[in-house]
Amino acid sequence: MRRALAIALLLALAPAAHADRARWDTRALATVPPPGYPARAYVAPNHRIYEGTYDNPSGDTVPSRVFEYLPDGTLQRSWTIQGQDLSQAHGVQVATSDAKGRLVLLDKAPARVIKLDPRTGAQTTYATFADLPALPDQTPMADYGAWGPDGSLYVTDYQQAVIWRVPPGGGAAQVWLSDKKLDGGPFGTAGIALAADHRTLVISQGSEAGLAAANPTTGRIYTVAIGADGRPGPLNQLWESGPAEAPDGLAIAKSGRIYVALVSPVANQIVAVGPDGKEVDRSPATFDAPSSAAFLGNSLIVADQSYVNGDPSHMQILDVAVGEPGIAELIPGRKAKPHARKKARHKHRRHKRKRRQR
Amino acid sequence: MSDTTRRRFVAGALTTGAAAALPGAAEARTRKTRHNAKRRRTRTADVCVVGAGFAGLTAARDLANAGKSVVVLEARKVVGGRVQNHELGGGRVSERGGTFVGPTQDHVLDLAQQLGVDKFDTYDTGDNVYMADGRRSTYSDTGPTGTAPLDPTILPELALVVQQLDSMAGSVPVDAPWNASSAADWDGQTLETWIKNNSASPKFRRLVSLATRPIFGAEPRELSLLFVLFYIAASGNETNPGTFERNFDTRNGGQMWRLVGGSQQIALRIAQQLGRRVVLNSPVRRIVQKNGRVTVTSDRSTVTCKRVIVAIPPTLAGRIDYHPLMPPERDQLTQRYGQGTLTKVAAVYDKPFWRDQGLTGQAVSIDGLVSATFDDSPQDAGAGGDGVLFGFVGGDAARTYQRMSPQEGRDKVLGEFAGFFGEDARSPKDFFETRWTTEQWTRGCPVGIAGPGTLLAYGDQMRAPYGKIHWAGTETSTYWNGYMDGAVRSGQRAAQEVLDEL
Repeated sequence: MRRALAIALLLALAPAAHADRARWDTRALATVPPPGYPARAYVAPNHRIYEGTYDNPSGDTVPSRVFEYLPDGTLQRSWTIQGQDLSQAHGVQVATSDAKGRLVLLDKAPARVIKLDPRTGAQTTYATFADLPALPDQTPMADYGAWGPDGSLYVTDYQQAVIWRVPPGGGAAQVWLSDKKLDGGPFGTAGIALAADHRTLVISQGSEAGLAAANPTTGRIYTVAIGADGRPGPLNQLWESGPAEAPDGLAIAKSGRIYVALVSPVANQIVAVGPDGKEVDRSPATFDAPSSAAFLGNSLIVADQSYVNGDPSHMQILDVAVGEPGIAELIPGRKAKPHARKKARHKHRRHKRKRRQR
Repeated sequence: MSDTTRRRFVAGALTTGAAAALPGAAEARTRKTRHNAKRRRTRTADVCVVGAGFAGLTAARDLANAGKSVVVLEARKVVGGRVQNHELGGGRVSERGGTFVGPTQDHVLDLAQQLGVDKFDTYDTGDNVYMADGRRSTYSDTGPTGTAPLDPTILPELALVVQQLDSMAGSVPVDAPWNASSAADWDGQTLETWIKNNSASPKFRRLVSLATRPIFGAEPRELSLLFVLFYIAASGNETNPGTFERNFDTRNGGQMWRLVGGSQQIALRIAQQLGRRVVLNSPVRRIVQKNGRVTVTSDRSTVTCKRVIVAIPPTLAGRIDYHPLMPPERDQLTQRYGQGTLTKVAAVYDKPFWRDQGLTGQAVSIDGLVSATFDDSPQDAGAGGDGVLFGFVGGDAARTYQRMSPQEGRDKVLGEFAGFFGEDARSPKDFFETRWTTEQWTRGCPVGIAGPGTLLAYGDQMRAPYGKIHWAGTETSTYWNGYMDGAVRSGQRAAQEVLDEL
């Protein structure tokens, strides 16, 4: 009983603590150790923050790493990625996790999906991406990923103008959507998230360098529906960024607002876009290449990459107060929380008892 | 330490000493073992923690707070591990082991706060003393070198080398030093090799030992350069990169504060909270993983549990009998990760007389046995209480000291204290020393150290769980490795690992 009261008290206090923080108030949770260059900071259902190290533009031969942080920024565990081609630009993003709590990593070299089991450290290749012959100058570069309701994994490609679908169970990724609007040249398709309706994917586009739009320098947010037959609907533009702002990772709030990291040095901001496609507001430009956004409580967890400046002290995981929570991530096959299961079991037993009594 | 605890400690020490001295002691021990086996208590718990130092106790506390049943088996007759108070009388204490806390050591500071243990400033008013080649000088630690001596003959080299070390440490990942881009190069040489290649003056090279003796209990030739760089990188936290200065300095560094009631207070208070979950005098001999359960056998208890946290230094962990055997890589790591060689000597005076001379009580010396001293007086020393000076005798100096008779050692140390602070230092009312290498359940201090090649070959085994066995202890920490904060961090991390699995 005492513990229940303590938990209730903590829960009551938690929003108050958040309420004290002004919108866009930013705190550093952790500086990411070498090799640095953090990309997407993924917040798992257990509220741990997982951070992969992406490529060093100056080049290095150090394998990428994945770090596990507690919500307060304490470094808990870490893993070295196995089997990377260190002669190429290499890096991993923690895209999501699966029903068993394994992390789903997108690797640059080779272009593949790795599943990493935090309990054992075991790493297995879950999927691979092909170098599409139609785009001879560009190699695959899996950037962000999101689960679809049927267990397909949808993955953006920053260099090839496609969205991949990894079938349930893994294997070779298939081109799900190919569109000229996804051709951003060196600044291609980045963030992806499944909307609250669980049938619409929200996608960020770094630029339209492929000249599919009037202004090739501006980025965009697109939405695309996953049809009942699994096929993509039309690509709908929701919002257009300013010139050379390079929208990157994104997160969707319960309110329907979409928070997008603007990674370019021109912007260095987080922008909030309403469900109607109108810009709500922006953070101050205090970041150094913010590359992702993910909700943790009423905050966004943002990875500051310092990609251009290469300043190790700026390669941080940041807690940015936004005053609202995000939608829950859909992880196909994930069971309910243990206490919820317990409750259900208890209910089931009570039901059985009642039936016997009858 | 309460009177009861102290009496038990003394009684236990007498018993152990007597048994070892008697003829037929081996036979007596065998009889005793049989007797112990008969009266060994069998317990069941979710988790068994081996070692009641800061790491083990923190882990047990977190597990108990999470509603798990836990048993802590401690070999000593007291809790605290390498953190032990020394009673001065009248409720005042000094410390035999870990003493200081400082900025960025957030985890031990948070824990102290939760336990109601306050901190106070290490006495740092006035000048420090520097002794080199028989010449004594004083300097302020508010200068550019901090606690390091302000010696004009070596100042440029000191500044350059520290800057270089900090810069190199910046590229060492604290969670995986062996992954640094220059790891193979740095782990292939000792700190001494690197210093020889990057400095010119013999005097400066002697100064390096002044730092490595108290920090590692070792000489520069015993330390892998990569290990030293990792240690520097670890002298910070997730938002403040580690630096040599933060490690070595008192002002704004790792020696900035002390804990009211002595640093062991933290361990004593956690043990009080844990109550009967902590079993003293209970060295663990064997850990068996079988049929999805783990059985931990100590001299006093057999604990059957779901998970084990081994929270003792690697070299001691390697002396436990494991079934099945530890993986060879882990076993090899424990064979190579020996404890430093450190003795802490302390003299108690009627008052901290050096303060009247405008001195902090801090001295550094490249002559003699004692390489660094601190004012370790109780908090009320300024108001007429006892004054305590302690000194670190490490590395070769500790090995020399260990070969001296107690009287010879005491006279030598007090002679050096007198050289630093004046003749009053020669006549303390009490003198005590802690030879950590002779402590059966530590075997050296302040930390496990790595020579060349160890981190590269086996570093990744330090925290890797083995089946249902998890590893804690300050040596496993990513930040403030070797410090109380690192121990607390490691305990919290190991507890979380276990909670994830239960």
